[in-house]
Amino acid sequence: MSDPPSADSKLWPLVWKLLRLRLLIFINGFRRARLRAKIIWGIAAILVLGFLGFAFFLSWTLLHFFSSPELSALIGDATPVLESVPALIFTGTFIGILVTSFGVLLQALYLAGDMDFLLSAPVPIRAVFLSKLLQAILPNFGLICLFALPVLFGLGVSSKYSFLYYPLVVLILSALALAAAGLAGLLVMLVVRVFPARRVAEVIGFIGAITSFICSQSGQLARWGELRSEQAQQALELVTRLNTPWSPLAWAGRGLVSLGKADWLAGVSLSGATLLVCGLVFGVTLVGAERLYYTGWASMQNIQRRRKVNRRQNGASTFPSFAAVFQNWQPSALPAIIHKDFLSLRRDMRNMSQLVMPLILGLIYFIMLMRSGNELSLGRGEAPPFVVDLIRSASAYASVGLALFVGWMLLSRLAGMGFAQEGKSYWLIKTAPVSPLKQIAAKFLVAILPTLGLCFAFLLLTWLIKRNDILTFLFTLPAVALCIAGNTGIQLAFGIAGANMSWDNPQHMQRGLSSCLGSLVSMLYYPLSMALFFGPAIAAPLFNLPLLAGQFAGLLLGGVFSLACAVVPLALVYARLPRLGEN
Amino acid sequence: MPTHTPLISTQHLYKKFGEKAAVQDVSFDVYEGEIFGFLGPNGAGKTTTIKMIVGLLQPTAGSVKVGGYDVQLQPLQAKAASGYVPDEPHLYPKLTGRELLRFVGDLYGLQRQQANRRSEELLRLFDLSQAADDTIDSYSHGMQQKTALAAALVHDPKVLVLDEPTVGLDPKSARLIKDLLRQMAERGAAIFLSTHILEIAERMCDRIGIINQGRLISVGTMDELRGAASGEASLEDIFLGLTGGAEYAEIAEVLK
Repeated sequence: MSDPPSADSKLWPLVWKLLRLRLLIFINGFRRARLRAKIIWGIAAILVLGFLGFAFFLSWTLLHFFSSPELSALIGDATPVLESVPALIFTGTFIGILVTSFGVLLQALYLAGDMDFLLSAPVPIRAVFLSKLLQAILPNFGLICLFALPVLFGLGVSSKYSFLYYPLVVLILSALALAAAGLAGLLVMLVVRVFPARRVAEVIGFIGAITSFICSQSGQLARWGELRSEQAQQALELVTRLNTPWSPLAWAGRGLVSLGKADWLAGVSLSGATLLVCGLVFGVTLVGAERLYYTGWASMQNIQRRRKVNRRQNGASTFPSFAAVFQNWQPSALPAIIHKDFLSLRRDMRNMSQLVMPLILGLIYFIMLMRSGNELSLGRGEAPPFVVDLIRSASAYASVGLALFVGWMLLSRLAGMGFAQEGKSYWLIKTAPVSPLKQIAAKFLVAILPTLGLCFAFLLLTWLIKRNDILTFLFTLPAVALCIAGNTGIQLAFGIAGANMSWDNPQHMQRGLSSCLGSLVSMLYYPLSMALFFGPAIAAPLFNLPLLAGQFAGLLLGGVFSLACAVVPLALVYARLPRLGEN
Repeated sequence: MPTHTPLISTQHLYKKFGEKAAVQDVSFDVYEGEIFGFLGPNGAGKTTTIKMIVGLLQPTAGSVKVGGYDVQLQPLQAKAASGYVPDEPHLYPKLTGRELLRFVGDLYGLQRQQANRRSEELLRLFDLSQAADDTIDSYSHGMQQKTALAAALVHDPKVLVLDEPTVGLDPKSARLIKDLLRQMAERGAAIFLSTHILEIAERMCDRIGIINQGRLISVGTMDELRGAASGEASLEDIFLGLTGGAEYAEIAEVLK
């Protein structure tokens, strides 16, 4: 029998042992990887180094340019803005690590598969916490360093700061990252004592995905053409306002700039204060971890039990919903699978984020479409009349293109992952007497019904507000329905080809290139089918033919093409289905 | 009592994964009213055989009949006759226990009222009524295992295939399973179960099949197995003698 290790004396060696285990797993993975993967890793490493060098050179040149006397003569003294750059970066680093670490630490501290093993081993809880914390923040910290270090070093070189500035940049960045991650860890430990960890992870995933999507798309609502120089000036002033002496986050930046300028007293005191505060925060985190981590982990089961009791007391199992409509059908496998899929999609937050994104995009495009008004800008009037007529006819179908794009996003999730979302539970359907045709029909309907609903709602709202020709509106409805049907077939076929039925994380429902290929093919399919549907209708007036004839021809041509695209790929799905889930 | 109508019949069953043969030339019958135990060391091919019986895997060669229907040629009829409990109860995590049972009832084409009645009976039987409206992701492993068992029984199958059914169950639930299986067999169902617990196999099963390295090396009643193994007393001795695990006793002696 070996003696148990004493908790405190062996903390860091134990942390290193746990970290070394991860390192070993990584090295083994690299060693056993295929040559192609190793080459890709090598190229990626070279690219990262190249990016670091380029970003450093660019920052150096730009910052040097900002501090040039010629530019100062034009825009005034830029020194306060330049000296605020470190404070801005450190503030961004701290908040960035704090926000991103929450989800990562929640996963690492409470939902990782190795927790039972680690907590049953003779390892102090503090060592487990520290190793998990370091593992969790390392990727985000690396990413932040990739962008922050070249800028901060570029500032140092361009402003000719003293040599002490450079190592301290790395030290303070690391200290801030550790303090932020520590705070995030404390928050995680507190939250998990109240809410179930898995539920929190789902909510975090949902909020994170929606927030990043809204941020990325909100730029489309901005009117960049109307940006005034005063607004740019205000934005720069905001940067200098961050550099206030009252903010502990600004102390690090101010201290570093002072050290760089050889103002030793201010530099040492501010940098020292930063490191002291970071150390204190991290210390409090470690002490808190000792008290909160294990008890939080141990009480996870109790939280689940409480939640169950509450739900029973409320007596609310389900409320009437879109999914419940299918429950009232004559019992059979088809509505049962549809009902089950809608319930699962609605209840799993991780799915909801993917489903809500098209709604947000639809709203943004709707606002953009409304802003553009009914009148078409025809430039300086130099275009030939037939081109003007062509553009005018085509513009009547602009909302269709946007509706299809919004629908495409939803369809990619619902059809592309239709079979893969069954995952390890697929055995329930596969061992039941459910024919492949019924399974395909169920997945087809699960994908197409919400997409049609979204697209039709978009078209109806646009029509109600813009009051376009009703015949054109009525023509677009079957055209859009058929177009989406074709795309559903394509997405189902590529989805099943790359389905990974043994996923644990929903982001891993697909493997290989099938998903990318499916997106590419479906993206090529849309313009082609739209050209067949709407081309004759747009061209008819140019040849003095009735619009109705053009629309009819379009429906015929596009309809045949779309139906072929819907049915032929489904034959591939039918052939693949008996083998689904075998590996 | 077992009769001579086979409800499960495998003929020269083969399954290859790439170059590796997981199951080789496995043939056996399981009759009406019979509990058939399927034993073998880890990686012997038990789960692969079971997955071919219930239609989860397609055999490389050979055929499987369930309830008189060929699983490859008449899959819907064969599947309608059988119920399956996997070794790991992967169930839809976002459905409640009650919803899952009704879903399975719908898959097997049960009338709504019948499905509801059966679901409630099984929830009560397996002591799951209290948690019936909670989503399955909040269930413990044992509760999930019991839910999987209930799901396999919703349509009252003629053939029940169970892969390690008692793993993760408390003694009360394990006893309930054993009683249920015996009752089902007495009503004429064929029960096929794989287990590592030799005591269960010895006490419950009418006949036992032992598979090793993909080959069925022995099939018969306990008495027949004893006779073939030149009078070895317990199933454990017979099993270790056939699958080559007897030498581990010497290693255990060395480690003492």
